[in-house]
Parts: sequence; C-alpha cells; structure tokens
Amino acid sequence: MIIETFNLSKTYHLKGRKRIQALDDVNISIQEGEKFGLLGPNGAGKTTMISILSTLIQPSAGYAIIDGNNILTKSKTIKSKIALMLGNDMIYYRITGYANLKFFCKVYGLENYKVKIAQLAKELEIEKWLNEYVERYSTGMKSKLALCRVLLSDPLILFLDEPTLGLDVKTKKFIIDKLKKLNKTIFITSHNMDVVEKLCTRIAFINNGKIVKMGSKEELSKLLQKRVRIFIGITENKNKLKQELEQQDFITNITNEETGLKIEILRREDYNMLFPIFSNYKIIKIQELELSIEDLFLNLV
Amino acid sequence: MKVNKINRILSKTFAIAEKNVRTQIRFKYYMIWKWFLPIITLLMPIIILDKFFDFSSSIGPWTQQNFMIFMMIGYDIMIMQTMIDYIPKSLIGEKYWKTLPALMIAPFNRFYLLFGYIISEFLGVLIPFAAFFIVMVIVFPISFLTIIVIILMFFGVGLVFSGVGLFLGVFAISNENFLYIFNVIIRLIFWFSCVSYPFQLFPNAVQAIINLNPIYYLIDIIRLTWIENNIILTAYSHPIHIIIFTISLVVFPIICVYIFNIVYKKLGISGY
Repeated sequence: MIIETFNLSKTYHLKGRKRIQALDDVNISIQEGEKFGLLGPNGAGKTTMISILSTLIQPSAGYAIIDGNNILTKSKTIKSKIALMLGNDMIYYRITGYANLKFFCKVYGLENYKVKIAQLAKELEIEKWLNEYVERYSTGMKSKLALCRVLLSDPLILFLDEPTLGLDVKTKKFIIDKLKKLNKTIFITSHNMDVVEKLCTRIAFINNGKIVKMGSKEELSKLLQKRVRIFIGITENKNKLKQELEQQDFITNITNEETGLKIEILRREDYNMLFPIFSNYKIIKIQELELSIEDLFLNLV
Repeated sequence: MKVNKINRILSKTFAIAEKNVRTQIRFKYYMIWKWFLPIITLLMPIIILDKFFDFSSSIGPWTQQNFMIFMMIGYDIMIMQTMIDYIPKSLIGEKYWKTLPALMIAPFNRFYLLFGYIISEFLGVLIPFAAFFIVMVIVFPISFLTIIVIILMFFGVGLVFSGVGLFLGVFAISNENFLYIFNVIIRLIFWFSCVSYPFQLFPNAVQAIINLNPIYYLIDIIRLTWIENNIILTAYSHPIHIIIFTISLVVFPIICVYIFNIVYKKLGISGY
C-alpha cells in the first residue's frame, strides 16, 4: 500500500469552546498507481484529509503511512515524494506563468528545468501564455498552470483537491484526460461526481468526517444496480398515488414531476409489488431511469 | 558535497528573493510612490528646521550646515522602515493565493524563506537608499572607514527591521487582528524615535519616553557617527548608544524568529 491511514482523526477547536470533528477514525488504504477519489459535500472533511496526508497539518489522533513513511515522524521524506494542488490556487498571480514554474523548479532543486517547463507547457497547451502575468489567465489556464506546477517535480503521489473547480466542460475533460494518462498514484477530492466517476478506479464517500461507503467503481455500480429509479406518468389522482406510495417501505425518494412521479425502489426484486398499486390508477407511462454514482452519493449523505 | 549543499541552499534562498522582487516590480508606480513617500514626510520638518536655524545656531549637534545629513539619514531610515510592512503584506498575499502550502510541502526549510524575504527587502530599497547615501557622501564627505561602519550599521538596522517585519508577518498568517494592533504600537515606537525631528526639540517629558526607545538609539548612532566622522570618538562619547545598538542587533532578530516559530507551531503546521 502506498497510502494507509489508521484511525485518522482531526478536531478543530473553534471560538466559545466549540469543537468540530473534521475527521473521525478514518481508515483507508490505496495501492500504488491507483486513482482514488474522495467524494463528499462541502465541509465533509475532504480538504482536512488531503491536508493531513500531504503533511500540511497534523492529525489530532491516528496516523498515516505514505510510501512506508509515517506522516508524524517522516514528513520531510514524504514531502519529496508528493505534490499538492488546491483547486487552481498555489500560484503567484503577480508574476508570469513561466516565472512561477521556474520558481517552483528552483524550490524543488530541479535541474534542466527549462526543458521540463517547455515540455509540460506544450503538453498542457499553455506555452503561448507562459510569458503573461497569471492574473490575466482564465480559470482554465490557471488550472492548467497549477497542474503543470505539480507535475514538474515528477511526484510519486499527486494530491488534488477540487482540481476542476469552476472549469468549463471542455477544460474539465482536458484535465481529466491528462490525469488519466498519468502513471501515478492520484488521490483526488471533489464534490463533483462526474470528475471522480470518470477518473478514479476506487471511490470513498465521506460525510461529517466519516467514510460512509468505499469501494471500486464496479462494486458501487453493483450497489446501484440493486436500486431502481422509475418514472410513473400519471395525470389523474397523482397526489393520491403519491400518498399511497409513501406508505410503502420498499419505496424511497418520491418526487413530484410535471407529468408524474419519480420514485426509487431499494431492491429490484420488489419491483413487481408496484403493479397491484398501479392497477387502481390510470398510468400513462412507466419508465426505468438510469442511476449514477451521484444518486448513490446523495442517498448516502 | 558541502559545496553542492551550499549551492542548493543559496539557489532556493535566491529563488524566493527573485520571486519577491518580481512581485514587487509588478506595479512600478507603487514602488516609485513608496520611494517618494518619505520625501513628502520629511518636507515639513526640513522647512520648519530651516526656519528654526534663523533664530538659533544649533539644536544639539545639528546646525544649518549639517541638518541635511540628519534629514537624509532620516530618509534612508524611512525607506528601510518599509521593510517592516513588506513581510506581513507579502505573507498576506501568500496566504490568499495559498502559495504558502505550496512552499510548506516542498522540500524546503523555513529559514530559506526568511533569508529570501530579507534579501528581497534589501533589494527592494537598494536604489533609493543608495542614491541618497551617495548624495550624502558628496554633500558631507566622510572617511572610507566611516562609510564602511555606517553601511554595516544600516545593515544592522535592516536586520532589526526585518525581525520586526517577521514578527508582524506571523500575525498576518495567523490572526490579522493582531497584525493591526501591533502595527499601531510599532507606528508609536517610530513616532518616538526622532526620525524627522532632533531629540533636543522635544519637551522633557517626551524626551524621557524617547530615551526608553531602542529604535531611537539605532537611528541616532548612525547620525552621530556620520557627523563626528571618527568611530573611536563616537564609541567613546556615546557608549550607551553603542551598547543598545549591539544588544538590539542580537536580541531583536532572535526574539522575532523565536515568536515566528512558536506561532507557526500553534497554527498546527508541521511543514517546512
């Protein structure tokens, strides 16, 4: 395992003796080369997790091992093996893109940095913008530059916190495609299902500092296959049908639509139990809808 | 092996300095404004003191012939004073651009950051400082030895100011409220340091307060060394100045680096 956490916890002390449990006994393990996604709503503990693993902050309890090094005792060794990208930040706005990259190359003690910068800038399609001040960059350009910065040091592990935040569909796809091609361990946090679903091989859901579900994309898909989402087309007695469906234990998430109702059945085998109920109503249409990891995420959190 | 290590340290330190200088010169008019601001501040005391010498031949050691040296050294001190504001201002920028975490997770020692900042501060004030210094040497010539001693003294003052800047910088990262509170205190300390008016002009009660201010001794000893142009004589006639200057030079940076470390650890950052 390249990343392993053991009962990792973090408590923040706020004003008025208030405490926030940002992470609560988190245990995860990630293999070398794996692309791991941590999904969760805002304030779930994603950034705290990535900050601890990248040695920025220390846990209140527990520990993590990164490539055989304990984050509590070997943070210096870990630093030389990782890179962190926080959104499209961590770049200096008042200097040019090239000056930024050159600066970080020197900080990491990289030799032949001119060649590396030219090569990466070409790959990420920012070479024409390198001599412009970063403050003139679009959000997409800043993200590409930020990605370029983390790739310069050729790290073993990439920690990416919301790397596609605020990006348009085209740039988002570009970044995901680039990350997919990288032969590196990637730990990505996001509240954007789309990004994680497309990039990661394993996904964990975090809420209120706890891992609520973890598994491979296939395992999660199986979990999804058990559930069924159905659209019921009905114009007459819609509310009456809704009330009747609400009384059934096997049905969840009933939502009103303009021309009918949307429901979710927890287990596919209960599907047939719907028809005796429907027989009392004038149903125009029954359509099975596709469930995504986003739906699972919404149900879990 | 050792040479390589030294090269690496220097390369990282100068990378910080280079980046800071590039950031500073992004807005050139701001820099020029920064250089001119002390001139505007000193304009009023120049007018007042010039008129004052119509009625009195001297104010302590200052006469109509040498008071321009008093003012020009005042300018150099004021331009160096901008170093105090520079570290907190830059660190606030780093905080909001989230570039500090980028440095923290790099294989990078925090002292490279500190020295890089100090070098860039010196470079940032070098042009106006040197210009006024050269004019001073032309207007009021001194011996080569005195020039060297005064340059070293200014360097010492720069270190002390950098230390104060570092002290403020730590609050810029941790709690900006404290930064503004300490900023007021530091303004008051400078207000009582005789940068723009000679000590002898102030009433006795204010003189008593000025006597407690170490910054006053740092500035005054440079001025006295210049006009006396004999370092042995200056050291002999102003031992308290020399003692306080030496103590400040050692104590200020150490205390400030110590506070920087403590506050940094309290932030929960294990980095660097």
